[in-house]
Amino acid sequence: MTRILGWLAAAGLAAGLVMAFAVAPREATQGNVQRIMYVHVPAVLVAYLAFGVVFVGSIAYLWKRAEAADRVARACAEVGLLFLGVSIATGSIWGKPTWGTWWTWDARITSVTIVFVIFLGYLLLRGMTEDPERGARYAAVLGILGALNIPLVHQSVNWWRTLHQPASMLKAGGITMPASILVPVLVNVAAFALLCAYFVVKRVRLLEAEREALA
Amino acid sequence: MPDNWGFVIAAYLLAAAAFGLYWRRLCRRERALRAARAARPGAR
Repeated sequence: MTRILGWLAAAGLAAGLVMAFAVAPREATQGNVQRIMYVHVPAVLVAYLAFGVVFVGSIAYLWKRAEAADRVARACAEVGLLFLGVSIATGSIWGKPTWGTWWTWDARITSVTIVFVIFLGYLLLRGMTEDPERGARYAAVLGILGALNIPLVHQSVNWWRTLHQPASMLKAGGITMPASILVPVLVNVAAFALLCAYFVVKRVRLLEAEREALA
Repeated sequence: MPDNWGFVIAAYLLAAAAFGLYWRRLCRRERALRAARAARPGAR
């Protein structure tokens, strides 16, 4: 199953690249630099999804003490952090030519950085706590708190005046993007979701193998 | 506005490097665990 997921993700990423560079048009105002969006947006959406799984897995762990739920939450936190890091870094690269700066303490960028730091703390906490059961419990609480910040990150562009543009996809009134841009975005979202699932399955198996090796 | 292809390439390379390095890390850890399991006494 892991191998099939891996090949599907590779095929999806290849299709995503073709869509981003050969199918999507050159954007009228920003020019070709807007093509960074086909990495930046899918990466953040998939990170939101991974943190959503952390939220559910953490609740399941605290409620039922299900170790499998904790392993899935831990894997999703790690993989979500990777995707969020890619989104922040590509956003910064996109910001330089369009906004004239690599970084600004804008509400969206600041709130997403807070989520990044919370999940970094989640992983550090797990690595630093000697008692694995206690580490899992503390991390589950932090994971829930971190995931609860995601609606705030999403709404930050609506609640405050920001340099970051408002949401173009997940917003009231529906999507206003033209299909020529929307379809490449959606293909890349699907490809990134497959890659995320592949990494999570691989990481969960590793956590199981590590537990067996320690037993 | 100029196309800024350098920024586009940098963003895609950075994403590819991040995903590629993470994938390699997972594969290495898998191999190390498999080797440790095989080296354990009584392992077949």
